[in-house]
Amino acid sequence: MEKVYNIIVGGKAGEGVKKAAQVIAHIAMAAGKYVFQNDDYQSLIKGGHNFSLVSISDNPIYNSYFKVDIIISFDDRSIRTHRDKLLPGGLHFVNQDDAASKDEHMISLPLSSLMKKLYSNPANVSLAATGIFAALTGISQAELEAIVRKEYRNNTEENLRFAIAIYDLCITQKHEFALKLNYAKGAIGTFHSGNQLIALGALAQGLTHYFSYPMTPASSILHYLALKKESHKVYAVHAESELAAANMAIGAAFAGARTAVGSSGGGFALMQEAFSFAGMAEAPLLCFLSSRPGPATGVSTYTAQEDLFFALNQGHGIFPRIVASPDSFERAYSLSAELMELAWEYQSPAILLTEKHLSECSANIDLTSIALPKPFEQPSESEAVYKRYAITESGISPLKFPGKGNCSPDDVIKWCSHEHLETGVRTDEPDAMIAMKDKRLCKGQSLIEGTKKYQRVAFYGTEGPLVFAYGSTALELRELMKYYPLRLVVPIYLEPFPYDELAWYRGQEAIVVEHAAQPHFAEFLRQKLGIISRGNILRYDGRSWDTFELLNVIEELQDA
Amino acid sequence: MRNFNTGKENTWCPGCGNFGILATVKKAINSLTDGGIPLEDIVITCGIGCHGKIFDYLNISGIYGLHGRALATAEGIKLANPRLKVISFGGDGDSMGEGLEHTLFAAKRNIDLTLILHNNGNYGLTTGQASPLSKIGFKGLSTPQGNIERPFHPVNLLMEAGASFVARGYSAKMEHLQQLIIKGVQHKGFSFIEVLQPCVSYNNTYELYNAHCQILDTIPPDEETARALAKDEEHIYLGIFKQEERKEYCDLLMA
Ligand SMILES: Cc1ncc(C[n+]2csc(CCOP(=O)(O)OP(=O)(O)O)c2C)c(N)n1
Ligand code: SF4
Repeated sequence: MEKVYNIIVGGKAGEGVKKAAQVIAHIAMAAGKYVFQNDDYQSLIKGGHNFSLVSISDNPIYNSYFKVDIIISFDDRSIRTHRDKLLPGGLHFVNQDDAASKDEHMISLPLSSLMKKLYSNPANVSLAATGIFAALTGISQAELEAIVRKEYRNNTEENLRFAIAIYDLCITQKHEFALKLNYAKGAIGTFHSGNQLIALGALAQGLTHYFSYPMTPASSILHYLALKKESHKVYAVHAESELAAANMAIGAAFAGARTAVGSSGGGFALMQEAFSFAGMAEAPLLCFLSSRPGPATGVSTYTAQEDLFFALNQGHGIFPRIVASPDSFERAYSLSAELMELAWEYQSPAILLTEKHLSECSANIDLTSIALPKPFEQPSESEAVYKRYAITESGISPLKFPGKGNCSPDDVIKWCSHEHLETGVRTDEPDAMIAMKDKRLCKGQSLIEGTKKYQRVAFYGTEGPLVFAYGSTALELRELMKYYPLRLVVPIYLEPFPYDELAWYRGQEAIVVEHAAQPHFAEFLRQKLGIISRGNILRYDGRSWDTFELLNVIEELQDA
Repeated sequence: MRNFNTGKENTWCPGCGNFGILATVKKAINSLTDGGIPLEDIVITCGIGCHGKIFDYLNISGIYGLHGRALATAEGIKLANPRLKVISFGGDGDSMGEGLEHTLFAAKRNIDLTLILHNNGNYGLTTGQASPLSKIGFKGLSTPQGNIERPFHPVNLLMEAGASFVARGYSAKMEHLQQLIIKGVQHKGFSFIEVLQPCVSYNNTYELYNAHCQILDTIPPDEETARALAKDEEHIYLGIFKQEERKEYCDLLMA
């Protein structure tokens, strides 16, 4: 078994805790390691307590460990919060200028006072973590300098002096740490959060307009895309509300732009009517729903899977839709791309359902190894006069865009939120209503076939107890499967549900794991497959599982 | 001259001001296309209400959107293809109530669209409730004792929000209205045209408008003057209250 090294960096919000962890991850990555970063932060800007967990290994890592080899505490609160998490033989570095609770086993460094001495304007002590980690892992001073220059762009000279001073202190203290890094080795893949991968997947499939209103944990998609304006020719529009965002996206799709919207549960509650509009107007509306604990404002910076039924039932009325949830970083990328393609092929709203844990954790991902969907073929037109909602065998009507190449001056393209005729003009005639409803349902049948091009269920492990999970809970389980065998079944596509692929499991007993206060996913599996849950593992404190803690819970269930 | 008929049966009440708006819009679009704008570059959106039915009576591409959201939909269209001339039709309940945020933000952004506000002073399609533009004392199904809320002044509200073209017309003064629509569509930036639209069933204002409407000869020299003129109740002034050059949203975004 390859060792996984784990590090906690803890301090106040605004001190650069997450950045410090990220630099550690980047260093390990440059040395050819796999990394996993998990940030625990509060909804405040300055103060409070934030910490990040970084894991490093020679194999891919899917989840964090809360018992660690190194703790770096920038303040006393971090010492008190994390001291119990140190493994025997581990190292706890503390800022001696803010360390009232320290004990003799901890390693004191004069972080704040040194910073006062070296900076004209003291900045964030968290830079110290880079010096400490470099000294522990055998990074040379020259390499450290290059790292600091690259990662911290402001106050370079002061930063270098500070980082090197910390580095020298640690070197002279001669700490024992087994992980040694060859910095020049070369990285495997690139370092991305789940949200970045969702954005990149959509970009790969032609996203040009993203409409959103900030809501954690979806906001970083907006921020990331806003930075990609020049490089990727994408416009990220911060709309006046989620209602605006969703209606803008439908307008942009009408004009031929590949678009997406993103929010958390609260924002999607506001988008419900527009979601139905997309169903009625047959607009390809790609939605990124990143869950946090609810209801209402809930808890903004933590994780949950409470929105399963909400996503499945988004909008009012009956119409086809797609709901799917990525179970890994790679899938965040490929699924986002697939859903973009499916939304356009079947002119339907699609939801990528994820949660804070995947949205905001980061790892190194080899994007080049992930297959992306091929562009679908537009159905050809049969009739002389263009009709937006022409009734066809597949239920899919040809799409044209005003003022674009495939459109002739005589084409009139009418999208309609009201029930309509093939032309897009409104109707309330009974026969016409039935005809159009049947057309949409027929499209829903075609959509089921369409999803079969893609992997709809992920199966991990071949022995051990049968476990069902979805979304990033699958990541948590896969990490513990390094120590304990499971047969893990993860439906990726939740609607249309892959009955055919899961038929074999009908009526079986299984353990169901989810981040919800009530077993909604277990109930979903009962409805769809008659799965008999022999144990619901529920977690609803907003936190992700420590790998070994989850392993213990499963073991207990097995032994019971 | 194209007639833009769709063959859809018209279900507005006989005498409704919307007929005047429809006929005027057709004429305005004809002169815009005669002036060189390709018809396929003209796109419409509308909200829900009596006004929204105009979508069915114009054989022109567009989106029959959601109540209050037509302007957001229009902004999406414009962002995806800035070459398109997008005309959005709103009701006073629609664009000044349910979807006020989009109206104010479109003005704030100065995005190059035209909003034609069918101001009939009530919610027509839902049988005559008070709207955000109903006068104090207006009696409708939801305000049987009379409306107690002060109405917005849409012209002033939109000037303040940042619309760079703000005008008021009257559905029965069709030639004047036609010029406003043409100028509004040609104007680069957000154009707001309030159209006084009598609702014969719930708010018949023909007599009032015929007696008091007066056409402005020139654009007021400054916003303060414009605001005073727009609020004048003795004379209901029609015309352009404001027209200024201001950087347009899509140009700024895509620069
Ligand atoms: C979300 C939503 N709420 C309510 C309605 C019902 N509704 C339809 S039209 C309308 C108001 C119409 O008033 P206005 O916008 O002034 O248009 P008018 O009929 O007067 O032209 C309402 C409330 C709706 N269609 N959608
Ligand atoms: S109710 Fe009023 S606005 Fe609606 S069609 Fe009749 S007259 Fe026109």
